[in-house]
Amino acid sequence: MSILHFRIGRPAAILVFVALAGILAGCAGGSMTASSWPGIASDGKTAYIAFNQAVFAVDLASGKEQWRFPTTADRSLTLFAPPVLSDDGKVIVGAYNKAVYGLSAKDGSQLWKFEGIDASQDRIIGGATVAGNLVLVPSADRRLYALNAASGAKVWSFTTKGPIWAAPLVDGDNAYLASLDHNVYALSLSKGTLLWSQDLGGAIADTPTIANGLLLVGTFGNGLKALDPNTGETRWTVPTKDWIWGNPVVDLGTAFFGDVSGTFYAVNVADGKMKWQLQPDGAVSASPSVLNDKVYFVTGTGTVYARKTADGTAVWEVALGTQLLSHPLLAGDTLLVAETGTGPLLFALDASSGATRWSYTPGK
Amino acid sequence: MWDTLIQNPMINVLLWVYAVLGHNFGLAIIVFTALIRLVTLPLTLQQQRSTQRMQELQQSKKWQELQKKHKDDKQKLQQEQLKLYQEVGFNPLSGCLPTIIQLPIIFGLYGAIIRALASTPIQLFELSKHIYPFISSSLIPLNSQFLYMNLSQPERLFLPFIPTVGIPLLTVLVVISTYIQNKLMTPATADGQSAQMTQIMSLYMPLLLGYFAYTLASGLALYFVASNLLAVAQYAAFGKVNWRNVLTLRSPSSVKK
Repeated sequence: MSILHFRIGRPAAILVFVALAGILAGCAGGSMTASSWPGIASDGKTAYIAFNQAVFAVDLASGKEQWRFPTTADRSLTLFAPPVLSDDGKVIVGAYNKAVYGLSAKDGSQLWKFEGIDASQDRIIGGATVAGNLVLVPSADRRLYALNAASGAKVWSFTTKGPIWAAPLVDGDNAYLASLDHNVYALSLSKGTLLWSQDLGGAIADTPTIANGLLLVGTFGNGLKALDPNTGETRWTVPTKDWIWGNPVVDLGTAFFGDVSGTFYAVNVADGKMKWQLQPDGAVSASPSVLNDKVYFVTGTGTVYARKTADGTAVWEVALGTQLLSHPLLAGDTLLVAETGTGPLLFALDASSGATRWSYTPGK
Repeated sequence: MWDTLIQNPMINVLLWVYAVLGHNFGLAIIVFTALIRLVTLPLTLQQQRSTQRMQELQQSKKWQELQKKHKDDKQKLQQEQLKLYQEVGFNPLSGCLPTIIQLPIIFGLYGAIIRALASTPIQLFELSKHIYPFISSSLIPLNSQFLYMNLSQPERLFLPFIPTVGIPLLTVLVVISTYIQNKLMTPATADGQSAQMTQIMSLYMPLLLGYFAYTLASGLALYFVASNLLAVAQYAAFGKVNWRNVLTLRSPSSVKK
């Protein structure tokens, strides 16, 4: 790094040094910028949103903040995983400090904290799944942790070959786990043992979907795959132009999903045949939402689209003008859209017209 | 422009090297750093020639006389030095130009490693925009495990007999290798300002890079160490290394006045 031997004086030398430090820090992606997008959940009355240093609870009717966790800023805490709601009134969320928090949905107070993630390895990026008295927590340290929902104590863990960024899908006593190691794993929920695994040839960043007796999995570079949920055998593959990040959403036998170079697809689940596809204005990294005969999806360039599920014809579209990478969430007839940029954190749109009902920006 | 000309080609070459080396990202960083040093070798040589020329000039009788004669009038001294440069046909900026050309390459290399490591969703999402179609998506995510390290996380070595204390071994290596590299490759100079600058760089650069190595992904720390060692090896191969400088804390000023 001996790059500078100019004939300059001390002030200039210090300036050069500071500039160099700034450039290096900038290249490294300093801690000031978000490293993920917001995670949203809702119980129909309240929206719970995890982003950067806090989890916020926002009243769906008014858009007013009800509580936040932690109540005072804690720079050591970074939360992006979508919160998950348990039947007994808890909001469960994983954090970058390798801990999982069980919070009261009522007031955001901390009920328990699980710190069993290997501190030398990695952090929690994906959301958790609640299945009866178990909470399944995926970790980038390659393990899936099954915790007791009441106490947060570890019940079992399962290790994959790569980071896990997605919540597992639970169907009966089976848990289907997707990993960035290119594999889908089927596990026994009660024992945490492996039933089968299948290498799909590309990383998988989101939760599989089960519909019409098939397990649908979007991959990086290897299209959408439909697997037999009992054996893991591939039934069909739909090639895509680019990586599929968000998992498909199925409505009336049609799977809807997008890819990161900006194509949105509707595929017949039974045989994998393309029904229609369209080109929105940017990357589609998030899963869509479906209500009645409309499918809603967002783009990385900041537009919210509502399209008819039957043929993809336009219903409405709204340009919010900011990066939209989180899954949009329907709470009744309200479409919740979270943004990753510097504007309001959460928008509540009228699902029928796209009109903004309110937007929420966290106060300091 | 930056992405098209510098960043994207570097990211894709790095990914290609990673694929060729059997999905070992640690080795890929080392080999890629060596490749970049090889490509920029003509610039490095030009810089060395210029530095040597400047040293020879500073050792000349005429230069020494100018220093004595105008030691109380810096403006006059600079004018006379410029005249001397013109007389002997030396361009003092000829050493800066290769450095300036190399800077974007160094930052591009650094950026390529950072982007390829992509350990968070936003980083991976951004990486998807930079990968050429001929690079297989099956490479993603990169295997960030190298020796005992996770290259996407800050490095700490946990020894069996003190399992709770993580030793930042790579940080220590970054600080030491940066210090040694700066000391070994620093040319002797009679110019007070240059010596001052050199002293600042050789003291603060190891600390700055050490801080980055301690707090950021260890893939970067590995790059710093590889870059430092390769630079020393390259200079040693041309017989330019000044080994005596390592033992002194002062800025080198071996030119006699």
